[in-house]
Amino acid sequence: MTLLELKGVSVHYGRIQALRDISFTVDEGEVVALIGANGAGKTTTMRTISGLLNCSEGSITFGGQDITKMKAHIRVVHGISQAPEGRGIFPGMTVMENLDMGTFGRKDRTGVGRDLDRVFDLFPRLKEREKQYGGTMSGGEQQMLAIGRALMSNPKLLLLDEPSMGLAPQFIRQIFRIIKEINNQGTTVLVVEQNANQALAGAHRAFVLETGEITHSGTGKQLLEDPSIKEAYLGVG
Amino acid sequence: MSMTDGPTPLRTAAAEQAAEEREASSKAAGKSDLGQRGRRKSGSFSDRWHALSRQQQWAFLVVVVILAYLLPLFNPPIITTEPGNNFALACFDMARFALIAVGLNVVVGYAGLLDLGYVAFFAVGSYCAAMLTSPDSPFLHIPYLWTIPIAMAVTMFFGVVLGVPTLRLRGDYLAIVTLGFGEIVRILATIIPAMKGQVGFQNVGHPPGTEAGGTPIFSNSNGVPWYWLTLTIIIIVTLLVGNLERSRVGRAWIAIREDEDAAEIMGVPTFKYKVWAFAIGAAIGGLSGALFAGQVGFVNNQKFDVTTSILFLAAVVLGGAGNKVGAILGGALVSYIPLRFTAIAEYKYLIFGIALVLIMIFRSQGLLPARQRLLAYGRTALNKITSRDAEPKDTGIPPAGPEGRVAGQRGAEA
Repeated sequence: MTLLELKGVSVHYGRIQALRDISFTVDEGEVVALIGANGAGKTTTMRTISGLLNCSEGSITFGGQDITKMKAHIRVVHGISQAPEGRGIFPGMTVMENLDMGTFGRKDRTGVGRDLDRVFDLFPRLKEREKQYGGTMSGGEQQMLAIGRALMSNPKLLLLDEPSMGLAPQFIRQIFRIIKEINNQGTTVLVVEQNANQALAGAHRAFVLETGEITHSGTGKQLLEDPSIKEAYLGVG
Repeated sequence: MSMTDGPTPLRTAAAEQAAEEREASSKAAGKSDLGQRGRRKSGSFSDRWHALSRQQQWAFLVVVVILAYLLPLFNPPIITTEPGNNFALACFDMARFALIAVGLNVVVGYAGLLDLGYVAFFAVGSYCAAMLTSPDSPFLHIPYLWTIPIAMAVTMFFGVVLGVPTLRLRGDYLAIVTLGFGEIVRILATIIPAMKGQVGFQNVGHPPGTEAGGTPIFSNSNGVPWYWLTLTIIIIVTLLVGNLERSRVGRAWIAIREDEDAAEIMGVPTFKYKVWAFAIGAAIGGLSGALFAGQVGFVNNQKFDVTTSILFLAAVVLGGAGNKVGAILGGALVSYIPLRFTAIAEYKYLIFGIALVLIMIFRSQGLLPARQRLLAYGRTALNKITSRDAEPKDTGIPPAGPEGRVAGQRGAEA
């Protein structure tokens, strides 16, 4: 079933058009990857879906409901949660306080304990550091915290913006394993990545974004084998 | 207050109790806002403070408050501002600045919105009191005490009017717009005939009551009752603001200050909370403006310039943005220093400028840094709901002593 659908979405920064007529869908239970080079519009797409940017044309539907004009903080309540690029954690708050902020929009307090357990199961490191200030943690831990915080709102759709950015290779593999696990637990994941290899390997379906347009789409496997993609993104020619 | 819903959890973990103790003690203090980060920096005073039991902290605070009330009566020799300035009036001025700093701290310290035009709200409050009580004013006249809530309501309205269009801006842009707003209010006071520009309003009202001889208790020359009134208001406002700070609203403000986009995608209606911060800060500014107008008894357009605005901001930054006790201290200091050292009063901006530079270099969070554990209550609530930490574990935090247990239990009872 289609969970998220973008139809003909265009986004402008002033006069500069960052996204041109983007259309794609994310089905429930999927991991969908969005890959592309710098400036292709990946983060713009994410911020448009989470509601931090408004689209100038087109429409976004989520769970059958038109959310094009919906404010970002209400989209969270409806089940879209984003771990922003560059982590975007609250540096002056402890890990626990950061996670607590993730529940800000929740109406049901009863599920909080279960989600906290889930986050600590996925990221035992966060449990160890629960009283540490977010800003004093390493990049990888901050990334874990950002993902964990996004999960605290118990989202239907988790948006991950470059979860592997600036991380060591072993951390990257770990993060992608965790993404898979989150997906297995029933959360749909849309991940934006530059690390195409890992992203494509872990994704059910993927789209390639180039200068604001979708140029390729297919299953993760198809794209991994596509020669033009190999050349452009995977570094093997 | 915010020890919210959920069943009472088992609390066996030493770590949790230690955390509880810290929270309970800072709640008991209501004024001691030094968090871990602050503690690391500000060393022994806060360590000693947190080592005290709840009762000791309360006792200490009561003594401090009583001493503060008695301050103008003692007129202590070295601290006094005489002969240059009447000490009781100086005390009132300090209290007025402290109140302004508490209000501005809500905007700048909690929500992180740089407001360079705060004096505008102070001016609106002053003019409200003046125009509703002064015989020079053509409008209806009401008893002075009624002007205080009216001044607050009107400034709050101005806060919202200014906030709604400008709070879509961020950082520097917001600062510039607020700066402009501050000037607009001052200039309007000059050019609108009803506001009487430089001529101003004389004989602004004051609270009722006369002494045996027939002179009013709240006269312009007697600072003591005005000081007591303002001090009482500061205590009330600080308690209210403290409650807000520890509530959901406070959490939202801190999140906005730390990262606005992240706060928005966590589900915080950032715009709404920013307008609230503006409105509440404005109301407190208007309140202190009304008090000022009453005490001085004269309001014209000369007292509301940009430098005053900057002085208010300096008070907050000096004391420690985000810490209400720091703001009170900063406000009092900024007012006290030029009154005490009259020889250097002319150079006060120079001196505050240098002081700010030094503060920024050596103690960038202000004299009393903001408590970083503002979300402590949210976290407690979370722990309560989830009843986590059932098994004791070694986190390196020393086990809570008897006082800690008392505080922890109290936290659980509350």
